[in-house]
Amino acid sequence: MARFSLLFRQAAAVGMLLAVCGVARAAGELKLQTEPELLKTLREGSAAEKALACKQLAIVGNAECIPELAKLLSDEQLSSWSRIALEAIPDTACDTVLIDGAKTLRGKLLVGVINSLGVRRSSAAVDVLTVKLKGDDADAIAAAGVALGKIGGDKATSALRESLASSNRDARNAAAEGYILCAERLNASGKKNDAASLYNRVRTADVSKQHLLEATRGEIVAKGNDGAALLVEQLKSHDRKRFNLGLKVSRELAGQKVTDALAAELKDAPAERAALIITALGDRATDKLPAAVVDAAQHGEKPIKLAAIEVFGRVGQGAMVPALLEIAAGDDTELAAAAKTALDKMPGTQADSDLVHRLSSTHGKSLDVLIHVIGQRRIDAVKDLIEIYHGSDESARNAALLALGSTIEPQDLPLLIKEVKASQNTQDGDRAEKALQTACVRMPDREATAGQLAEAMGGASTESKARFLRILGAMGGPKALATIAVAVRENDPELRDVGTQVLGQWMTADAAPLLLEIAKSPAQDKFQGRALRGYLRIARQQKMPDAERLGMFREGMEISKRAEDRQLTLDILKRCPSAETVQLASSYMEDKQLRQHAVETAIFIAEKIKDKDPTAAKLAAEKVLKAEPTGKLADRARALTRAQQ
Amino acid sequence: MISRRADGVSRRRFLRTSVKAGLAATAFGSLPIPSSALGLDGHVAPSERITLGGIGIGHRGTYDLGCFLEQKDVQFRAICDVKAERREAIKKLADEKYGNQDCERYRDFRDLLARDDIDAVLIATGPNWHATAAMAAARAGKDMYCEKPCTKNIAQSLALVETMRRTGVVFQVGTQRRNLPHFAFACELARTGKLGKLHTVFAHPMGMTALMSGWLPPENEPAKETVDWDMYLGPAAWRPFNEKLLDGFNFEKGGGLVGGGVLEWGSHCVDLCQWAVGADGTAPIEYNPPKNGQMTARYANGVKLVFRETGWLPLGSCPVRFEGDTGWVEAGDSGKLVVSSPELLAGRTIEEIGGYPATYHVRDFLDCVKTRGIPKGNAEAACFAHITCHASNIALALNRQLKYDLKKNGFIDDKEANRLRSEALREPWRI
Repeated sequence: MARFSLLFRQAAAVGMLLAVCGVARAAGELKLQTEPELLKTLREGSAAEKALACKQLAIVGNAECIPELAKLLSDEQLSSWSRIALEAIPDTACDTVLIDGAKTLRGKLLVGVINSLGVRRSSAAVDVLTVKLKGDDADAIAAAGVALGKIGGDKATSALRESLASSNRDARNAAAEGYILCAERLNASGKKNDAASLYNRVRTADVSKQHLLEATRGEIVAKGNDGAALLVEQLKSHDRKRFNLGLKVSRELAGQKVTDALAAELKDAPAERAALIITALGDRATDKLPAAVVDAAQHGEKPIKLAAIEVFGRVGQGAMVPALLEIAAGDDTELAAAAKTALDKMPGTQADSDLVHRLSSTHGKSLDVLIHVIGQRRIDAVKDLIEIYHGSDESARNAALLALGSTIEPQDLPLLIKEVKASQNTQDGDRAEKALQTACVRMPDREATAGQLAEAMGGASTESKARFLRILGAMGGPKALATIAVAVRENDPELRDVGTQVLGQWMTADAAPLLLEIAKSPAQDKFQGRALRGYLRIARQQKMPDAERLGMFREGMEISKRAEDRQLTLDILKRCPSAETVQLASSYMEDKQLRQHAVETAIFIAEKIKDKDPTAAKLAAEKVLKAEPTGKLADRARALTRAQQ
Repeated sequence: MISRRADGVSRRRFLRTSVKAGLAATAFGSLPIPSSALGLDGHVAPSERITLGGIGIGHRGTYDLGCFLEQKDVQFRAICDVKAERREAIKKLADEKYGNQDCERYRDFRDLLARDDIDAVLIATGPNWHATAAMAAARAGKDMYCEKPCTKNIAQSLALVETMRRTGVVFQVGTQRRNLPHFAFACELARTGKLGKLHTVFAHPMGMTALMSGWLPPENEPAKETVDWDMYLGPAAWRPFNEKLLDGFNFEKGGGLVGGGVLEWGSHCVDLCQWAVGADGTAPIEYNPPKNGQMTARYANGVKLVFRETGWLPLGSCPVRFEGDTGWVEAGDSGKLVVSSPELLAGRTIEEIGGYPATYHVRDFLDCVKTRGIPKGNAEAACFAHITCHASNIALALNRQLKYDLKKNGFIDDKEANRLRSEALREPWRI
């Protein structure tokens, strides 16, 4: 018997019953009991022990335990525990005792065994279940219908068919549910015609609306393309649930015939419905939308247009590009935003060439939109964009500059660098900076790109240098860091300002020495504090060996003056929980400024190490309690001392 | 029937009245389609709102409900909970919001589901009830937003997807990270080959332990009106009342046998990994027990799923990481993601939404209720993410490697593992 992580045996041995909350054991700690041992528990144990034995028997039980499990089926407390085992044990004797139970039990216990016979798909139970289906207990009737449906086969199907015509509404509904389950199985096994026939019988029976809907859905799906007419019937229905069903099935059923039928519905459907049908058409796996959708998008009411535009964005359709551009440049902001999104998202390379092709023939606001879309889609149209950039249309030039940021290749990067250096006002400068940053972070050779920017800084104005520093910050990497280091050492307040801001967000630990250098620098300016916090952020957030982190902690404590900075420094210890760090944290409890934070940090670390080093955790918790914490902190500390007892 | 309204009105009597009330609601004029195609924003007349009921609305449920109540096209109409205290609290919340006394209270969710004037339900009971209540809601024709983990075992996972398909309802599991831009973008990078050939996906399991439920010493059972213990147990095997089990966070989470952190957190992290692998309709075929602090599974295409608790970038809880042969991406609940190369961002700025709010997921659900589209946390995606978690838990509990046959939905040559795929429900409940 394999080792197994269960607590049953331990619970039985110590006579202690199990809590659900917080009970956790690593795999392989305990073993399952053997079947004879569990059998003994079933015969002699308390109710709780018997219950838990049943759960084990679900895994290890065989024929031998079945008679004892059967005795529990009539026990209101233990019946369900017994069925946990009886449903799982493969032996057919389980079916026999459950069938016996179905003949003798009443009420909920009867429903339980009927449900188990259904789960086991026990064909031997069809007779008794048929009797129950014709009985007068509504709950048992409902259970029997489902069980027969799960069992399936000719005999069960026949029993269900008969009850579909019963004068008892409960029996008809139960039979409908079971019959649909039989149809589902036939459909899944490829017997589509047989399935459709079963669905149809339910669809035309006097059963609940939900069953009618399920049967309708099943019949449409089973018939495939031939189900299109029935699908359209639903879409024409004034009944909201039927219309909804039609929308749902529209997404399930493949085939051109269905697509055509849906498109045909657009002509007469009210705007709200047409919009929903268009959305459903967009969800169908098709690469070309019907002409009716294109027409609806251009000439329909606004809800229809919005739906169609959204669908074009998902499906794509080159012919729609001019219309979408026009809408995107139009005055209706809702439609314009939808059209821009659609153009941005439209799939396929054909859409890319369609867009580029239109650059020469598009003008005004539409041209701005087109350029923006080309940039967003990162279409290779650099040559055309540069041409526009050198043109006279200012609006188009600005759009082209931004689009170049998204599309330009390394050899053309100097164009954008030049633009940053040459910018005459803040607006132009911001635009050029944005374009260059977009380009730089895309460049395949980050170090070479950083080198180009470093070189460009020579002779640049302070404002341009600041822009280059921000871009280098976004790029990261050794060359960028080295360039920033040079700039912040120049003692130009503006560059130190931008440089320390950039370093404060640096994503790797290699900025730490530079930040420490600035934090310790003799110049008494505001950038020292910023650098210190950047340094502490790296120590708290970035990956590094514990020894290195502890070194940063010590440096941080040495140079931190403000209480907030010292608290941030203390947080570093949380990243390397150990006996040493919990002791270190505890040592700051004497410091009035840090006491509360030290208590929190010590508890945090003690909780982390309590399994690995219980003694150190307990010592720390005891020390914390001496500091007289309140509320949850005190509870957590006490819990730590209790856990070690 | 044991079903009763909280105020004692019988279910049958209630049905007579609700049928009348429902007639008006089912006329096509009440179809909840707003003025714009997808009904986004704008004031919505009450008759055009999606009518909602809540089942099991405690701590998490109240948060979810808050996300629903923010939406202008939602009208919350009824609360069902086994606890009187919660029923009253939610009624107060809803009535104050709408300035009326219309929110009905129920102790038995079947009474709520019987109302024709309710379109959708929020199911936020404990995990013990999720699958059973969800499938009952589907059979009643209700769309639903159901909290995770939504199944207790493999059989329930398969039944869930079949039931939702058969009944044609809209199902959204509470995997709200699917509707957050940074997680979605990370998954897209992996799924669309931007990381090269994907070889490993990482999920945080929040504890690789097998949890189980049990039987505590009996205590005095409260009055049914205060706490309906029988309904609380629901599909779980009977045991006497004990307050420690009530609100037990892990109560019957994994069928009372397995289902620890791997299921609890995995239903988020594994779900994202499945999405990244493009495996919403499938699951790994091999599962390995923990070794050196890691548990692994392998998909048929060779991609490895790794559960690990350490080694993550500091990006917040629920981290995932996807590695391909040319790049990697890691994301967490801070709303941030880190990529191996800025080029992967392609100049895009990914909106950072920290704190994993469910608002966007709720909106996705509501839009799909209107369009009948497929929400991000749909039943199929939920089914296979949960199967992955359950199978991993079984490997963990049995402490051996398991091979899974996706066609037969069973473990290959392992009888014990196969017996753990399902568990009988207490009478009269079924799925």
